[in-house]
Parts: sequence; structure tokens; C-alpha cells
Amino acid sequence: MLKKAALVMSALCVSASVSAHTLWLVPSHYVLSKQDSWIAVDASAANMTFVPDKGIGLTSLKLYNPDGKAQDVTTVYQGKRKSMADVQLAGDGTYRLEMANPLRYFTSYELNGERKRLMANKQERTAQLPAGATKVETVQMRSRNFAYVTVNSPTQTVLKLQNAGLEISSNTHPADVVAEEALQFVFHLDGKPQAGVKGVLSYEGELYRNDAGRVEFETDNKGQFSFTPEHAGRYLIEASYSADTATALADKVRESVTFTFEVALP
Amino acid sequence: MKLTGACLCVCAAALFGHATLQAAQSDITLELPAIETSQYHRPYVAVWVEDAQQQPVKLIALWVEKPDWLKDLRRFWRKIGRSNTALVDAVSGATQKPGSYTLHWDGNNDDGGALPAGKYTLFVEAAREQGGRSLAKHEFTLPAKNAVIEIAADGELGDISAILR
Repeated sequence: MLKKAALVMSALCVSASVSAHTLWLVPSHYVLSKQDSWIAVDASAANMTFVPDKGIGLTSLKLYNPDGKAQDVTTVYQGKRKSMADVQLAGDGTYRLEMANPLRYFTSYELNGERKRLMANKQERTAQLPAGATKVETVQMRSRNFAYVTVNSPTQTVLKLQNAGLEISSNTHPADVVAEEALQFVFHLDGKPQAGVKGVLSYEGELYRNDAGRVEFETDNKGQFSFTPEHAGRYLIEASYSADTATALADKVRESVTFTFEVALP
Repeated sequence: MKLTGACLCVCAAALFGHATLQAAQSDITLELPAIETSQYHRPYVAVWVEDAQQQPVKLIALWVEKPDWLKDLRRFWRKIGRSNTALVDAVSGATQKPGSYTLHWDGNNDDGGALPAGKYTLFVEAAREQGGRSLAKHEFTLPAKNAVIEIAADGELGDISAILR
């Protein structure tokens, strides 16, 4: 029993420490001019943008082809600091790399003044909560990490919203993002523009400048966040949305997303 | 170097002399600088014209080798290369060594049609493997009436001059 508890605790610790980091997918190329090109996709959970810290499992990494069909990415390696996937892109168009985690439920509670957590939804928790547990709360969580890669002519199919969870659309195709040109993102929750999504925008090279240049934002009542990237380079948006939306399975909802993209030279 | 450049111009004038009698031709002279480096590769170069809405209307020259590196001509790739394969195939030629080159443009668009009066921009982009990338641009108005464009050398591109007719 003690061993099992210790295991659960260590699992929680790992998940907590990883979730404090930001998980990102960074393809070696966002734009390619040759069919059948290979790309390497780096993935890591890290505090500093694109400085790898912890390798992560890539079993849920998927490649959405320009026609919208998804395929598993099977050539993967999980390292200590980062993980890597080899991906070949056969035809022209825009591809989506995505790592989406299914819905997960965490129940937190207090017992004798200590905060504790269970992997259980509202229906499961009744049987698992110890007697005397107080401040019981179940959160439904989901995260999604993605990036787009374009071979030759850009296409739109994989940019379409899936109308589930937190998603990002833009008035500029990811292959057309250029430094010094205004860029607008719309954050959607279950397919509808969502106000109050909080996020951070950052770009590579933080290790080599004193001012990280991060931009914290919150979407307006149209779900929008606009900015003009000053520099060409690789950027990261991490965003999340929490709401006290009670369902049969949870008291709260927390959706999070990370998106990496390239800002090209004008 | 100067002699070679002059020779090229004379040859070009001789070759295209008869055409200038029929239609006013613009001449665009660009120089690829000699760059001292242990790993010199000839640059990929694109020369084109965009209209006031930043839409490409005429691809004048494209010197490239392998498709892998076409994307490194960043603006050319976004504006023309990635979506107009037929035009790329029709216009592209081999990369060139350092020297001075004169290009001719009949003033028409990619389809051979006349361009309406208005503001346009001449773009010259060069990218070199294991080297840098340069983008030169200059606005002009059509009808140009012998307008002269001069762009000073910068990075991968030497001096650029053009007489637009």
C-alpha cells in the first residue's frame, strides 16, 4: 500500500513538474520547397523557449496530411532533454503536427490540512476520496500542442477548427507570417471565439538576451489577440483557459494549447 | 572584371538590338560580387516586379539549381515560387558566377500582356548556401519614360541599375 502510494505520488510529482514546463513541438523546417522531404520534429517540456529541458513521450504525435487525414508518427526517440520524430512529407500542401492529449480528470482535496490529488472524475471520486476530505474539486483538463509545415503551395484543410477544446485560428496562413506585418489570432473554445484566454508569446534566443521579450496577453471579447512580430524567427504561443463550467464529470474546465510558428524575413 | 562587364553589355546589345527597335525594353544590370570565402557557392537569384498590392506581375530572371534551396529566396518563394511551378520552370536558368549581368524586360506581365499605369516595385533577391541573403527593392512608376533606378551594393548583391522604358 505504501509502495503504491509512493508510486502515485511520484507520478503526480512528475506530471506536476512537467506541467509547470511548457511542452512544444518544433519542426526543423516550417517551409519546404521539395516533395518527399524529411523533417525532424523536436519536442520537449521546458521553461525557456526552444531550450530543451525534458524529453517527453511522443506516442500521441500525429501528422495530419494536406487532405486532412491523420497518421501516427512512429519513428520517434525519447531522450533525456528532448524527444525527436522523423517525418517524411510526401505531397504539396500544409501539414499539421499535433500532439493532443485526451480529456483527463483530476480531483483535488484537503485532508488534515494537506492538499492532495486523485486521477478521478466526479463520478469516480466518490469511491476514492478518503473520509474527512474537504475542499473537493474536480478539474477536466486537456492540452494540445501543434505546428504547421508547408511543402510548396500552402493549403487550408488542416487549418480548419476541430471544434473541440481550445484552438487557434489566424487571418494569416502560417506559411505567410512575415516580420513587421500585423498578425491576428482568434482563440476558440469548442469552435466559438473565447474571451479571457490567457497566454504568453515568446520567441527563440531567450538565453542570449537580457530582456526575454515575452508578451503576456488575454483575448478580447472577440477572442482576438493581435501583435506585430518585430523579428524573424521561431515563435511560441502558450495559452490556457479555465472556467467554472460544471458538468456531470467535473466542476471546472481547463484547456491549454501550445503553438509554434515561424516568422519569415520580409 | 570591368572589361568582362562591358563585353557582356556589348554582346547583349548586339543580340537584342533588333528587339529594342520594335518595343521599348528595360535594361536591368546587376552585379554579383566576388566573395572571398573557403566555401563559395553561387547564389540563387530572383528578379521580379510586384504591383502596388504587392502581387507579383512579372518574373524577369531566376538563377537556381536544386529545388531544396528555392525556399531560401524567402520573398520570392512566398510570392511566386511555391505556387507557380510552371512559371518557375519556364524562367529558371543556371546560377551565375560573380560578374555583371544585364537583363531585359519588355515591360509586359508574365502572360505577355501590357501592365497598366501605376506604381510598381522591382525586387532582386539573392541567397547563397553557407552565406547570406539580400533583398533589394526599388519603387517605380509605369509608364516609366526612361526612369533610372540605382541601388547600392549590399551583402550578396552588388550595384543594381536599371533604365525603365
